[in-house]
Amino acid sequence: MFEIRTRRGRILLQVVVTLLVLPFLFPLIAMVQGSLAGDGWANYQAVLAVPGLWRFFVNTVIIASGVIVIVYVVTMLAAYGFGKLHIRGREVYFWLLLACLTLPEVVLLTPLYTTAQALGFFDTYWAVILPLAALQVPFAVLLARTFVSGIPDELFEAARVDGGSAMRGFIHLIVPLTRPIAAAILIFTLIGAWNNYLFPLVFLQSTEMQTITLVPQFFVGQFSNDQTKILASAVLTAIPEIVAYLCLQRLFERGLAAGAIK
Amino acid sequence: MSATSATQSELRSESVTTTGGRRRTRRLRPRGLPWILPALVLCVGLIYYCIGYTAVISTWNWDGIDPAPEKVGVGNYLRIFQDPIFWKTIEHTVGFFVVTFVIQTALGLLFAVLLHSKVRLAVVYKVIIFIPVVLAPAITAPVFRRIFAPDGQFNWLLEHVGLGSLAQPWIGQESTALPVIMAITIWQWTGLTFVLYFAAIGQIKPSILEAARMDGAGNVRTLISIIWPSVRGTTLAMAILSAIGALKTFDVPYLVTVGGPNYATEFLGTYIYRKTITQSHVGYGAALSIILLVLALVMAIILQVRGRERSVMR
Repeated sequence: MFEIRTRRGRILLQVVVTLLVLPFLFPLIAMVQGSLAGDGWANYQAVLAVPGLWRFFVNTVIIASGVIVIVYVVTMLAAYGFGKLHIRGREVYFWLLLACLTLPEVVLLTPLYTTAQALGFFDTYWAVILPLAALQVPFAVLLARTFVSGIPDELFEAARVDGGSAMRGFIHLIVPLTRPIAAAILIFTLIGAWNNYLFPLVFLQSTEMQTITLVPQFFVGQFSNDQTKILASAVLTAIPEIVAYLCLQRLFERGLAAGAIK
Repeated sequence: MSATSATQSELRSESVTTTGGRRRTRRLRPRGLPWILPALVLCVGLIYYCIGYTAVISTWNWDGIDPAPEKVGVGNYLRIFQDPIFWKTIEHTVGFFVVTFVIQTALGLLFAVLLHSKVRLAVVYKVIIFIPVVLAPAITAPVFRRIFAPDGQFNWLLEHVGLGSLAQPWIGQESTALPVIMAITIWQWTGLTFVLYFAAIGQIKPSILEAARMDGAGNVRTLISIIWPSVRGTTLAMAILSAIGALKTFDVPYLVTVGGPNYATEFLGTYIYRKTITQSHVGYGAALSIILLVLALVMAIILQVRGRERSVMR
């Protein structure tokens, strides 16, 4: 965006950007460096040797996939309804949903705790998946509705003249055309579900149900506060997140550029 | 892609029920209510049920176990308004929002503009800035506790650049704990602001920028007069998200400083957790939750309305 014609200007620009990025890199370096202090790679071996480490990953994958499936299905159906179909009092329903955006998760703790125990959900995946999905859907619907409204009406009218039902419009138009925004929703939902700390902390009590965000605390008990091993476990749990982001990075940016937030 | 196949199988089972209504609504737009019903049932059902439940509990003096809680009406609320820690959390939240929002916006926009210029290895910079967004605060918290410890890397760095006199126990004293929490939050979320600005700037028509250059506008002038106004929508969206985010703040203060020392980093979220879970004052915690919810709603409405007014005035 900035136009720089001279060679010196270009070098200066590069230096400025590098200096600005350094503070962002510093904690990441400190993390890796700290994890290698003391016993070096043996820290990682010690962490990997702890039985049940995989359980944390598996649990997080199960919870994140559950949330993503629910959010995707529910959001796309709702975005079609809000964007292209006839609903009396549509904006009222929409604002009912949007108000949920402002809801902090701590507010849900007590009622969910008692309800989950009464219904026998406590300490199961559902106790985390359902509230997480409910909290993610409003934002996803907001993004998807704007996107679906931007699809030309003529496409849907043409489909209707051809005798197609609303269902066919959904399968043949909405599902394929919303791919870019679906990618953005996928990433936001993935980050939200993968990184959530409070719900697993409160609703998943038994060790074999816990998620990777609880790993550092688990290791505080396991290694009686040996910081290097805790950092090694932090690096190990961060790797899948970074890999997932790098793989989806392109799709994500395309989704945002497609008009996610305007 | 499991998501897609799940959708399709669900649709197949649903299509049986909708065929009956097809003929009636052929000329009009089909009815949309059944389509939004799953979202409404999930969100409105679960969340509004919880809010109602919390509102009821907030009128009790309850420890979470007692089968016959004492009903105290608005007693909890009256006590909250006289609670000095509650007012402290409000102060922290407001300061936290202003500082993090201003710095994130400035940094995010700066990065977006710089990386749209011809910078080598732009992808590497982009990835580094965005990685903190995908990392869970629960994962990075031990790292920051280590970095800001008295013998941590931050003090080490200060000593090696000749600022050793500034070294101090950053998270152990009241005066610096809150700025540390702000710094961590800025580190974490600038990536998101940046990516959104980056996308928004990419949508400015090149012809507009060229025209500005032809008229002799320099880099700074273009930034102020063309880029800043055209990304207004993004700024507004980020303002709402940061305001709500500030009210919701929980993970970072809870995991790095546990709201301390001496409540110096207590936020509404951590205070509700402390009251409800740690101290079993469930009724009091519920009343705090309702206040938090009302504040978040009011904040969202104010920002939304003010944003609209300004765009009308333009």
